[in-house]
Amino acid sequence: MQLTGKSKAALIIGLLPAFLIYTVFAIYPIIQSFYYSFMEWDGFSEMEFIGLQNFGNLFQDELFWNSVGNNIFVVIASVFGQIPIALFIALLLNRKIKGLKIFRTIGFLPVVLSTVVISLTWSLIYNTKDGMINEILRAVGLDFLAQNWLGDTKWSMVAVCITVIWQFVGLYLIIFLAALQNIPEEVMEAAKMDGASEWVTTWKITIPMIWDTIIVAIILCISGSLRTFDLIYVMTHGGPSHSTDVMALYMFNETFSNLKYGYGSAISVFIFFFSLILIGIVKKVLGQKFI
Amino acid sequence: MKKLGILVLGLLLLFSLTACSGGKEKASGDGKITELTVWNDWTENRPEYKVYKDIIAKFNEENKDSIHVKIESIPHDQYETKLRTQAAGKQLPDMFRVWPGARIAPLVEGNALLPLNEILDTWEGKIPEGIMKDYAVDGKQYAIPANISETSLIYYHKDAVKKAGFEEFPKTYDELKDLIKALNDEKVTPIALGNKAIWPLQSVYISTIGDRFTGSEFLPNTLSGKSSFTDENFVKALSVVEELAKLKAFNEDFNTIDEAQSRTLFNSGEAAMHFAGSWAIGPILEGVDNIDNIGVAPFPSFSGEGDTEKISGAAGGGIALNAELSGKKKEAAFKFLEYFYGDELYQGLAKSNIVVPVQVEMDDSIPEIYQTANGFAQGGLAPVYDATLTPELTDMINNGLQSITIGEKTPKELAEEMQKENEQGKK
Repeated sequence: MQLTGKSKAALIIGLLPAFLIYTVFAIYPIIQSFYYSFMEWDGFSEMEFIGLQNFGNLFQDELFWNSVGNNIFVVIASVFGQIPIALFIALLLNRKIKGLKIFRTIGFLPVVLSTVVISLTWSLIYNTKDGMINEILRAVGLDFLAQNWLGDTKWSMVAVCITVIWQFVGLYLIIFLAALQNIPEEVMEAAKMDGASEWVTTWKITIPMIWDTIIVAIILCISGSLRTFDLIYVMTHGGPSHSTDVMALYMFNETFSNLKYGYGSAISVFIFFFSLILIGIVKKVLGQKFI
Repeated sequence: MKKLGILVLGLLLLFSLTACSGGKEKASGDGKITELTVWNDWTENRPEYKVYKDIIAKFNEENKDSIHVKIESIPHDQYETKLRTQAAGKQLPDMFRVWPGARIAPLVEGNALLPLNEILDTWEGKIPEGIMKDYAVDGKQYAIPANISETSLIYYHKDAVKKAGFEEFPKTYDELKDLIKALNDEKVTPIALGNKAIWPLQSVYISTIGDRFTGSEFLPNTLSGKSSFTDENFVKALSVVEELAKLKAFNEDFNTIDEAQSRTLFNSGEAAMHFAGSWAIGPILEGVDNIDNIGVAPFPSFSGEGDTEKISGAAGGGIALNAELSGKKKEAAFKFLEYFYGDELYQGLAKSNIVVPVQVEMDDSIPEIYQTANGFAQGGLAPVYDATLTPELTDMINNGLQSITIGEKTPKELAEEMQKENEQGKK
């Protein structure tokens, strides 16, 4: 875009308030985190400069790597759960069917609900004694399938991920629907004239046409999963036995419960670079320029 | 000219931003009325919170020409995090509620608290030394206890215990195990436990069970390096939790519900017993249909080295002062504390079924389980683990006990892990 002097000034003035707020509340704290990550600090006493020791400890901290592993599990489950399901439903809804608006609203509903409400509701559904899932399984005689979903380390992560997927499918559904509706009619018509089947049209026309949107959705999905915190905090507190601990939760506990502000900041810094690198790789793989 | 305009506009915006942060400074000190802010976690609708608030209102009324105390309440679960974060930012209020032992230690180390030794005479002879010292660090007193929080009591439904064949509540651990087996045979959940937040097994169970096995000197000795967590008796105490889990003593979902939810399970009669602290007296009295059917017992005896009369507990309800208070504000705050921790407070709390550190007269209108629980404090208090251990060790034992219940860790492994952290933390 060409900017004349006048509109440039208007742009700066327009951006300034947002930029200032962003600097004070986002950029400055990030820089501060970098600074704290070189310190040993309990939040009260004098800070002590210890160089890279926090990072040294971090790389030897088994519980931390456990949380990284769990977090990658959430990322993979989200990307391969949320995106395909949302895309599939969006393709189904992208035709003239009755009650489209109702389906759309239902699909989007979990996104609007407060995470705490979702977490508590799903905790009840998963409850081993009288939760909905186990009750149904028992009612139809599948007792052996009933599990202590959140209380068993084998199942807790799976159970949490299902809830995460359920919560965010609606968001990507709306994004995909909007993209699908932007595909020009003519292209579709042309495909039909050439005798392409539904299947071929979907794979050869529709998906390539919204590929950019899909990439954006995947990036959103990864960055969202990397900082997942509230849902797990309410559902399991990272337990049992650290089986659902994720990076942000581990950072929170180390910083505020164990009063290791310096160490917590080092974890934040790690999350920052980890996310940056992961998203960079994904963009490269999916064939888009980084930043 | 245009550039200047932009600059001015930018500066204006900057000022409007900074103005928000600067404008809060209160005109205290120069006016006639000294205003003091007190932070607390009195958000729930509990009778004891009303007692606290009423006394503050009365104090304000009596001193309306000179002092005004402002109450700011923050929900309990966020309170300590907020306090620590604000302390890190040196933005503590004038007065704030604090918890004893290891939980005030970091605030003391960070020089955030004002010692109260100047005014200690007020409570001399009234509050036992043993309770007072919970709020003292290195001989300096930082708060006055309002109540005693016993952390290990057993509440039980009398009829359920009788039906399982026990005329009296079990006095030894072996008898308790028999009771658990008998209850399981009757398809009654033996013990209602909610350990999602992972502190109950530590604070309620291990604080007293550990003490029965190791004696009260064990924790201070271990922290100072004179003994070790790998001590056989401590491992035995941890093994009790493992054994209870294996006996299926708890409700199946104990790792996925929280402490208050487990109380509902007990109140409804679905579970025969509930291990909890004195904080549960009020909710249980309110939640059950027939108060007379509820009994309260101390933990049974274990074949250990500790005193079997003791139960774990700590002082509570203390309000600390900001170390930066001086002059008029300091005087006013001292005056407030002397007034607040008076007879009226302790009587009011006793009426709300809170165990208090001073002798108060009790009449028949006070429920039996409160009187019994109050009596247990006389046997002496054993240290509470999370009020004594460092935050790191507390976190480790909390998570470790949960792992033990699901067979992910053995008691011995946890003990070794804790000892390793204990040695590292001191360097």
